[in-house]
Amino acid sequence: MLWLKNVQIVDPAQDLAAVRDILVKDARIFEISVTFQEEEVQAKAEGETLEVLDGEGRLLFPGLIDVHTHLREPGQEEKEDIASGAQAAVRGGFTSVLAMANTKPVIDQRALVEFVRAQGERAGLARVYPVAAVTKGMQGQELVEMMDLAAGGAVGFSDDGHGIQNAEVMRLALEYAKLSCLPIISHCEDDALAAKGVMHKGLVSARLGLKGIPSCAESVMVARDLMLAEETSGVLHLAHISCRQSVDLIRQAKKKGLNVTAEVNPHHLIFCDEDVQLTKTSLKVNPPLRTADDREALLEALLEGTIDMLATDHAPHTWEEKARPFAEAPFGINGLETSLAAVWHYLIAPGILSVKRLLEAWSLAPARRFGLAGGSLKPGQRADMVLFDPDRTLEIKIENLASKAQNTPFLHTKLQGCPVMTWVGGRLVANRE
Amino acid sequence: MLWQRKHILGLENLSKEEISHILQTAKPMKEVLLRPLKKLPTLRGKSVMHLFYEASTRTRTSFETAGKILGADTASIAVAQSSVSKGESLLDTAKTIAAMKVDLVVIRHAASGAAAFLAEYLQAGIINAGDGQHEHPTQALLDMFTMQEEFGDLTGKKVVIIGDILHSRVARSNAWGLTKMGAEVTLVGPPTLLPPEMKALGVKMSHNLDGELEGADVVMALRLQLERQQSGLFPSLREYSRLYGISSQKLKKTGRKTIVLHPGPMNRGVEISSELADSPMAKIEEQVTNGVAVRMALIYLLAGGTSNVMA
Amino acid sequence: MEGITKSRIMDANGIRRALTRIAHEIIEKNKGTLDVVLIGVRRRGVPLAERLQNLILEFEGVKLPLGILDITLYRDDFSTIGFQPVVHETDVPFDVQGKQVILVDDVLFTGRTARAALDAMMDLGRPQRIQLAVLVDRGHRELPIRADYVGKNVPTSRRESVSVCLREVDDSDEVLLMEKPG
Repeated sequence: MLWLKNVQIVDPAQDLAAVRDILVKDARIFEISVTFQEEEVQAKAEGETLEVLDGEGRLLFPGLIDVHTHLREPGQEEKEDIASGAQAAVRGGFTSVLAMANTKPVIDQRALVEFVRAQGERAGLARVYPVAAVTKGMQGQELVEMMDLAAGGAVGFSDDGHGIQNAEVMRLALEYAKLSCLPIISHCEDDALAAKGVMHKGLVSARLGLKGIPSCAESVMVARDLMLAEETSGVLHLAHISCRQSVDLIRQAKKKGLNVTAEVNPHHLIFCDEDVQLTKTSLKVNPPLRTADDREALLEALLEGTIDMLATDHAPHTWEEKARPFAEAPFGINGLETSLAAVWHYLIAPGILSVKRLLEAWSLAPARRFGLAGGSLKPGQRADMVLFDPDRTLEIKIENLASKAQNTPFLHTKLQGCPVMTWVGGRLVANRE
Repeated sequence: MLWQRKHILGLENLSKEEISHILQTAKPMKEVLLRPLKKLPTLRGKSVMHLFYEASTRTRTSFETAGKILGADTASIAVAQSSVSKGESLLDTAKTIAAMKVDLVVIRHAASGAAAFLAEYLQAGIINAGDGQHEHPTQALLDMFTMQEEFGDLTGKKVVIIGDILHSRVARSNAWGLTKMGAEVTLVGPPTLLPPEMKALGVKMSHNLDGELEGADVVMALRLQLERQQSGLFPSLREYSRLYGISSQKLKKTGRKTIVLHPGPMNRGVEISSELADSPMAKIEEQVTNGVAVRMALIYLLAGGTSNVMA
Repeated sequence: MEGITKSRIMDANGIRRALTRIAHEIIEKNKGTLDVVLIGVRRRGVPLAERLQNLILEFEGVKLPLGILDITLYRDDFSTIGFQPVVHETDVPFDVQGKQVILVDDVLFTGRTARAALDAMMDLGRPQRIQLAVLVDRGHRELPIRADYVGKNVPTSRRESVSVCLREVDDSDEVLLMEKPG
């Protein structure tokens, strides 16, 4: 049994934000109280070894759940594999991750879904939940066997990495996925409008001579998908929303009562296109970093709930791939190990975002939307939790990263706020002490 | 002034003083260029590598001529016959070149920022000979040199740059450089090739050529990449030429002694009429000569000393 | 000019007298002014050459052609100096082929500037003969070079320097012997 004393527990699911003692037994949250007496705890342990930890000055969160990661296995293990990704996850405070399907081969068959799950279990770190593709081979044409994939453990469907261009295919996917009750996760990007752009189309792209991706490349697809979701009463989740126009559309859709959720990536809340430099490929990401005004709209949307979730869009790439001229480097930011600290540093510490909202968006809402364990520290729940030190500085160095890739814009910087211990099912899986 | 730069990556980050110094240094270089015996011992023992990932006979030849006159050893890697086509990354190619102890690398590459990328990873000095749609600083410098030869001080001179501004590194470099030298720049082109975000360059923009010609001291026509038509950026050469092509007839509207520049190679009959290209108003061949002089100045300034290098 | 002044080697009159003598010597040695041209080495060789041009005009009624030579691009110390010397224009608006060229400079020291000037001259054409005229020869030659016309020979130590001031560029006419600091 674990007895964690004097820790500030923040758990929006129980509307709790106070210093408490917490007991963990048999992989689950056992009990939370203002304080426990030693004899009392010994009795509850029923002879189990008792581990006591003083959490003074620290916070305890339900483990974060990241609904958008690219773990690259199978096929691109030089960038990341499920074990290294899961290790990065728990070091970053994530106890569950959704692994996107754009691997090689694409996760479009039950055997592959089961492989991803099995690799996750073998690693024994964060819980790894596979997302299956929407269409076979992500070709945007034929639907996958959604029911079989769901039975194999898929928690959602997405062709993420590429938008589904054909509206009829998207409509059919939303219709058919209703059988599984799982969300379609849409990567909203119109290929013709994005037109091989490499950053946001605006003043900065004009200055740098880089081909731009206009905001409308996203927003026209958001509009389309919302209309299709309305038409079909489908379950829609919008990945990595990046611009004000999309936010406005989602807000209207939610007013109408559509079954839609949306996520935002931390980098879209922290950076904007003005931060992009020709040699800074760590900021090359899709959707691209948009304007300061878009960033403001995204933050507002997250605060008010129009955007439901935070998600890293963890996209590891090798050093060599990113050591190229901007236009030739691949899109993507390595996020699992740095995102919580970065959001703390840039948004929580300055008082822009509350801890409660952070946990709603990065733990509770993801658990509810995708029907996952976790998201709360209520007694009886599985003990997926993170001990967080708000005063400790996390220095981002290559040698400290568990991920195989180092493509983070925070490399060589220091972030205030650091997850120090992570438990999955009551088992301590990451410890920076 | 004390020259302190190790690289020439673009004009956006050069000061007016630095640009003036380059143009000033190009004058004695041009005098050398016009001699019967054009060879200097200045950079004996220095090596300049030309790394060209895009076909460009004129720019590469201009750089090679400049380096040779200054006495440097020059070599070229063109993309077709190199390991680049075997999939070697720019970084690996660059490292190989660096291992040959080259003093200066002149690079042309289709990716914006390729020159800055090399500057980040290599010890050698880097000259940007055109990076994607970003900058082409030596072209803008030779344009400014040609204008200065004609007008002296560029303060208040009206320069109209016409064409595919969106995709033009020449337009970007000229806008930065000319603005610093005090000229008034106007960019002209159809809305698809001169979209609103080009206001980032901080100069006047217009879609109406006729309205901008009055009082123009310099009119610069940019090369139109004909494949842009297939991308739908303009409907036809005929319509483009009618709206944005320049001719002696159209240039009467300037009401003064205007010079005409073109970075070449020209599409005669598209962005510039043949009779105008061959008229005394056109300084296009002078631009080529001045290109060698300006590149000599840059090679001299970057490779002339050894211990002055501050990035 | 850095360093402290130790003594004045020449004043305005001294300079004038030295140049007058050199002008006469040039005429005498070349048996007149036929095919003689003056080339001033930037920077202080240029006003000196102009003064010689005027003196010879006064004595012989002939205005010799005058050119300006910038030797920066011919320096031999590019790999050792820590700065980028500014290049100025060379302006020799006549053909030097077959001419009697009088190179004019202010101070002859190691001979390296004269060597650079000779190379620079050769790139402009093939003169019949090149002669060297200097206002001050301070010794310490590092190359087998000597002047044909010398205003004044001044024995110096290596720690000293010679500073030639000319009205055209420095507001006064004098030659100073300086002690280098340190």
